[in-house]
Amino acid sequence: MYYIDLAVTGISFGCMYAMMSVGLTLVYGLLRILHVAHAAVFALGAYVTVLVANATGSIGLGFLAAIIVTPLFGMAIYRLLYEPLLKYRPDVPMIASVGLLVLMQDAFRIVFGEQGITFHSNNLAFATYNFSGVTVSAVQIAIVVAAAVVFTGLHLFTTRTRIGIGWRATVSKPQIAASFGIDPIKVRYLNFAVGSALAAIAGGLVALMNNLVDPGIGFVVSYKALAIIVLGGLGSVRGTLIASLVLGLVESYGTIFIGAWLDRDAIAFLALIVLLMIRPQGFTGARTA
Amino acid sequence: MLKQSSRTPALKSRLSLGFASMLMLGIATVMPAHADIKIGFQVPLTGPSATDGKSAQIAATMAVEDINAAGGVLGQKIELVTYDDQAKSDQAIFTANKLIGEDGVKLVVNGSYSASGRAAAPVFQQAGVVMISAYGVHPDITRAGDDMFRLVHLGPPQGAATALYVGKTLGIKKVSTITMDNDYGQATMDGFLEASGKYGIEVLNKYSYSLKDRQFGSIVASVKRDNPDAIYATGYFFTGGPLVAQLRAAGITVPIIGSQAFDSEKFVEIAGPAAEGTYIIDSFDRDRKDETLQKFFAEFKNRAGYSPEGVAAVTYSAVRLMADGIKRANSADPAKVRDALAATKDFPMLEGNLNGFNSLHEIVMPISVNVIKDGKFTSAGVITDLAAFAPPEK
Amino acid sequence: MSAYEISIISIIGINVILAVSLNMISGFCGQISLGHGAFFGAGAYAAALTMVGCGSVPLAIVAALITGSILGVIVGFASLRVRTDFLAVTTIGVNFLFVGFVRKQAWLGGEMGISGIPATGLGAAGNMTMILLFAAATIALSLYISRSWMGFAFRAVGQDEGAAATLGINSGAYKLAAFGIGTALAGLAGGLYAFFTQFITADAFDFIFSVMLMAMVVIGGIGSTWGVVVAAAGLTLLPEAIRFVNDYRLLVFGGLLVLVIRLAPGGLAAMFQNVFLRTRKP
Repeated sequence: MYYIDLAVTGISFGCMYAMMSVGLTLVYGLLRILHVAHAAVFALGAYVTVLVANATGSIGLGFLAAIIVTPLFGMAIYRLLYEPLLKYRPDVPMIASVGLLVLMQDAFRIVFGEQGITFHSNNLAFATYNFSGVTVSAVQIAIVVAAAVVFTGLHLFTTRTRIGIGWRATVSKPQIAASFGIDPIKVRYLNFAVGSALAAIAGGLVALMNNLVDPGIGFVVSYKALAIIVLGGLGSVRGTLIASLVLGLVESYGTIFIGAWLDRDAIAFLALIVLLMIRPQGFTGARTA
Repeated sequence: MLKQSSRTPALKSRLSLGFASMLMLGIATVMPAHADIKIGFQVPLTGPSATDGKSAQIAATMAVEDINAAGGVLGQKIELVTYDDQAKSDQAIFTANKLIGEDGVKLVVNGSYSASGRAAAPVFQQAGVVMISAYGVHPDITRAGDDMFRLVHLGPPQGAATALYVGKTLGIKKVSTITMDNDYGQATMDGFLEASGKYGIEVLNKYSYSLKDRQFGSIVASVKRDNPDAIYATGYFFTGGPLVAQLRAAGITVPIIGSQAFDSEKFVEIAGPAAEGTYIIDSFDRDRKDETLQKFFAEFKNRAGYSPEGVAAVTYSAVRLMADGIKRANSADPAKVRDALAATKDFPMLEGNLNGFNSLHEIVMPISVNVIKDGKFTSAGVITDLAAFAPPEK
Repeated sequence: MSAYEISIISIIGINVILAVSLNMISGFCGQISLGHGAFFGAGAYAAALTMVGCGSVPLAIVAALITGSILGVIVGFASLRVRTDFLAVTTIGVNFLFVGFVRKQAWLGGEMGISGIPATGLGAAGNMTMILLFAAATIALSLYISRSWMGFAFRAVGQDEGAAATLGINSGAYKLAAFGIGTALAGLAGGLYAFFTQFITADAFDFIFSVMLMAMVVIGGIGSTWGVVVAAAGLTLLPEAIRFVNDYRLLVFGGLLVLVIRLAPGGLAAMFQNVFLRTRKP
């Protein structure tokens, strides 16, 4: 049972990482920018969820508000920060992105307090279910269900709708897509909007699980997300999903078995470096879109 | 030149320049009588350690106001010169040199973590500046020299006292331990592990997590498998809160014993109903019938919007103790203040009575234990066997 | 000179060495490294262990140089294997691995770090002078490399590996050389840092610090030695200069970082050039 418990933990981490990372990998695929400030979007999502949930008494409304607010923020980052810097080397927008993250983190601290904020009522964090000896918490179920819904929806959107197909085409073959009359600028906004909404959902779920949102909430997750998108082959959604789940599991077992000589936060990067040495192109092979 | 204190030395000096010819004599005689006694204060106001820094700053400001409202010391007012050190070593060295060189400070309270206190201690020691580290737990701080004092129990004594409480008072024999990976968490756990044998405690398994972790799924699953009689965890309230919540959510019902820095009402807020029954070692008794304590509580809550935690209480006490040292030395001369502080006997801290300092200027005082009951910190006894957790001597 | 000024100038000197050495790797040779803190840390630990062991300053400096460059060449080999895109994240990984590994090693002091590092015996002012001399030497080396054949080859590799190959430049060898030299200097800076603080913990060498170094390079103007020197000094002084905002220090710092990049994306060097060229035009 113990190993299954660890697997449950790993899979729920993995799903959370996936929702956090997909936005990053899409931004990278489109613009070649390491969007470090995505962590601030994630944190904003967590804050909005808690604040609105506490104000209205409904956690559902909290998530809804987060899904509405964060895409606006994400698109604003693109418009105001990245767009004017696109013609420079990719490290230029990246440093700007880091600056924004530092600024946002401190802004969260100043506005919402050093101590962080918690849900007034959060029954999910303390509810658990027992499946013949395996304990699964309500939040873990929520994370997995949310990820399943979100990624199924994303898949349908990008294969069944006109806009979605255009989006996918732009990420993999920008010139051809443009020649079919798809506006690449609109695609960029869509990209930031969807990626930010996903990060917000992940942020809200992490808030539920910890019952705490503090200014540093996005910090570690964001660097792990960087490792994940590289593992997934930068720009590939499928690769990112696989990498997220693998990393979740590796961390879950790794914390116990190699935790004595390596930090949990470093495990992701150990996995990354080992994999890159074996398969320099990442999990998903030769695609260099 | 610019600092947070509300005084305006820059203006003062400009005025004195303007009227130099007329006032030269007057100033020379008047200034010393009106000069305040400056106490330097290093505190993390920005960055990841600002949580504790903010509380420390509010508490220190309150202490200074209380002292000045009661007429100051030796007829002079206390002035706090505050600098942000981000709890970082290089920032601590900068601000230490700034306090010494530019502000002419001779007495300092370090309201920051060890990374700051360790770096600042040798700088102050060399300049003959007396420093009280309010809550920095690294042993190096007091080893820097005899001008250094510490107002919190070192990690290893805290751990040893915990082992005594767990093994003897609670009568628990099998524990799993969870350590936070920083100097505070590690040192405290080392003390526990070393003393655990003495009280017949068997440590089933040891786990660790980083300061930034808030999700403990793997550790929780492992502890569940260990099936211990109790769990001992070191950490801060912002790691301890989620940890305890997640342990309880997994259906683990055995007692949880937390380290000193769990001590915050925020811990109860985060862990919610799961906080019930958690023991906190080296906490402080909030219900003690002590007027200063109750007044401090009300006023702090009023200013901060949340209840004071251990960090706030000890920082307040540190500033009060420094003022008390000046009073007993009958001088703000650092060498005399140092001797007065070293000779401290039965000083009333907010946390309880401070017996005094040992030869290394580590505190000698009993350790109180709290347990969370109905969402409130409730006293669960005091560990008074001072010999069981004696701090190291010189 | 006050002790406060001495301590700040010492750190400026150390940061100049770090930024200029990072500029050799990322600016000259185009290999984005966001893990410079790891090499800095490796040098600091090597110097600290040497000082604790035998107390010899020259030996400690040599140990710091060598440790930094060995680690750097290993990472350099990695840079040959992975796509340029991946290198930035790989080096982030190196930084996290370094910190995550060191903090768990009892022989490196674990969480407690290494303390009681013996003083160099030069005093604070003497240390500062030593640091400044090394910083000057680093700048001179950087300027020399920039004008030499090696600098030309670095830039060729950085701009277009394919084209470099047609010129008969073995890009692999030059990447390794860039990493080797740059990280050796980072190691040196680490040694000087250990002399300065006399105790070290892993936290001082984290990823955020590496990003700060990259910020110095980008703000200074990628590839421009003097621009980077100015930016390194500026970014070290900035938090001190805005001390009066106390509570809002990181907020202002982050904001200024964004603003500077947004207004002068080419860095100080480009800005200077623009102004210079504009005034020269009739």
